[in-house]
Amino acid sequence: MRKAFLILLSLLILLPLFSLFFWVFTERWPWPNILPKDFSERALKSTIARAGELGNVFFTSILLSLLASFFSVLIAVLSGRALAFYDFPGKRLISSLMLLPFLVPSTVFSMGAQILFLKTALYSSIPGVLLCHILYSLPYANILLNEGTRALGEGLEEQARVLGAGPVRAFFSVSLPNLFPLLLSAFTMAYVISISQYFMTLLIGGGRVKTFSVVMVPYLQSGERNFAALYALIFLLVTTLVFFIFEGIARACTGGRRAELFSDY
Amino acid sequence: MKRKQLASFLLSLLLAASLVSCGGNGRAGETTAAKSGSESQSGESSKPGEESGKSDAAEQNASSNEKDYAALLEKARGSELSFYGWGGDERLNNWLDGYFSDRLKEKYDIRLKRVGMDIETILSQLSGEVGSGKKDGSIDMIWINGENFKTAKEGKLLYGPFAEELPNFKSYIDSDDRETSYDFGFPIEGYEAPYGKAQLILYNDSAVTPETPKNTEELLAFAKKYKGKVSYPALPDFTGSAFVRNIIYDICGYEQFQNMPEDKETVRKAVEPAMEYLRSLNPYLWNEGKSFPDKEPTMKNMFADGELVMGMSYGAFSVATNIEDGSFPESTRSFQFEKGTIGNTNYIAIAENSQHKEAAEVAINEMMSPEVQAERYKTLRTIPVVDYQKLNAEEKQLFDSVDVGKGVLSQEELLSKRLPEMPAGLVPIIEEIWAEEVPGK
Repeated sequence: MRKAFLILLSLLILLPLFSLFFWVFTERWPWPNILPKDFSERALKSTIARAGELGNVFFTSILLSLLASFFSVLIAVLSGRALAFYDFPGKRLISSLMLLPFLVPSTVFSMGAQILFLKTALYSSIPGVLLCHILYSLPYANILLNEGTRALGEGLEEQARVLGAGPVRAFFSVSLPNLFPLLLSAFTMAYVISISQYFMTLLIGGGRVKTFSVVMVPYLQSGERNFAALYALIFLLVTTLVFFIFEGIARACTGGRRAELFSDY
Repeated sequence: MKRKQLASFLLSLLLAASLVSCGGNGRAGETTAAKSGSESQSGESSKPGEESGKSDAAEQNASSNEKDYAALLEKARGSELSFYGWGGDERLNNWLDGYFSDRLKEKYDIRLKRVGMDIETILSQLSGEVGSGKKDGSIDMIWINGENFKTAKEGKLLYGPFAEELPNFKSYIDSDDRETSYDFGFPIEGYEAPYGKAQLILYNDSAVTPETPKNTEELLAFAKKYKGKVSYPALPDFTGSAFVRNIIYDICGYEQFQNMPEDKETVRKAVEPAMEYLRSLNPYLWNEGKSFPDKEPTMKNMFADGELVMGMSYGAFSVATNIEDGSFPESTRSFQFEKGTIGNTNYIAIAENSQHKEAAEVAINEMMSPEVQAERYKTLRTIPVVDYQKLNAEEKQLFDSVDVGKGVLSQEELLSKRLPEMPAGLVPIIEEIWAEEVPGK
């Protein structure tokens, strides 16, 4: 029963993806044709002609998002510990401020940040865009890791200290491996948030920082359905590939135990 | 051991980051000016013996202008020029990135960098940059017209006047054409130079609908016959807005609007008969006029998929390119209202804080050359901005040899029925009135 439900669910997700595949090769698909009648390779040809440029765009996109998620996770791990194990004045304020990016729409933030960044060298540069991406992927990493750190507690680490490990070793050998599944989820989440930022990247990057979303969205807006479908497929493929690589690295780092993506910790 | 692997991976990421941030700035020094070509170009760009009967002073003036332009060319060399504009037209993108970009690189050693962006975003970025006093703006050239030009010029976001000083403007642009000095009725005063001409056309598929409505009355009958299969893009979409203005012209005439004050109630009174007509059209429209396609591309796709039987476009020859791309059936054809349709010109302006004003001027001058305009006409089917009468036989041949393709109206026919745009200030007012009085009424 449960299996049947899972199959149905995956069909519901996968079947619409097939229509994407057809849309790559056609300009129009009138009702009531089940399959399109006129085929065209315009989108494919034009995209292949731009393959080199697209390669660069992907390189920038992926690197940017990897960095954004790395820094988000780094900050989230440290702040998670601070919030879970220490008491300091303004703790509750800081913990609620961390969720602020959830409340302020990224469009509103971008327009303000643009004016601020214009006065500095950050504007229309990769570090500037990176900073904004971190800010917006951080809350997701924070939520996951704050809760995770609190749930894990200090007990195991204290035990390690009692047994003679230094603070650094206790963290790296005991706490970090136990947080790893969450770390991976947080990293993935932050990556997804960062790679799909459009307006923010466009505005802060001044149109010069070209990520995949910046290149793809104009096709969606201008109703070029075959281009949009092709770009969407490439986007899916590349993102899936990146996730596989994540998982591979994670496997290698943990020696194969507990490294599935989105594990229910 | 595994820990070390993770650590080294993260470290390498950090390293890569610092490399990228350095790479962004390192490019400015790359170019070395190839000076050999410059002499031949300055001779080519000025047209000798054009108007012979000039006074000495004027001639002196002209030769000093030539010198100015040669100096401009020299300064423009080696620049990286950014061109901001709507990026949703794949044909245009390819043309700009290919033909035009190569031409600028070869002739003037200018590297063109096209940035596809909505005009609202461009202007918000530009006003942000100018407002914060940024001198080395990231935007050089902007594709613009109408209300946006008015906003930008009034906001002092544009550089100028520059257009009228350019050699190709003097040689090939018709100064008597109203669109040379007014953009949607707003004085240009040299702050933008013509780029291409657009004109509203209607289209349908002759295999599905034999009729081509000649006026609003026939359009109503058409909508009744094909109930639920006619619509237009919701305003403020550019094309939808032009279509509604065209309906207003057909019913209320266009003369009264040319000097109308920008007062909502005055405009409301003047356009009321047209709004009344649009309301009477509603019951026969797609979804009974309760909602409209959100923008022109949506409507175009609905037509392509047979959900609508009629469409409209601001690209006068767009039906031909759509047939060639396979988006429209071969039997699609364009038509116009008897009283004509609205036409306008779109322009290129230069940002006030552009760092590469010289390169921008050279590129814009190049854009107005007959060869480039003919190439645009051939591959993009844009109505050229150069005045046919000012061309020599050879240049005329460039345009005459172009096959505009299937399903289009001839350029003469279009231009003979070309109506002037509404003054820019009235356009947003009409859009507001439409939103209040038409959808769902």
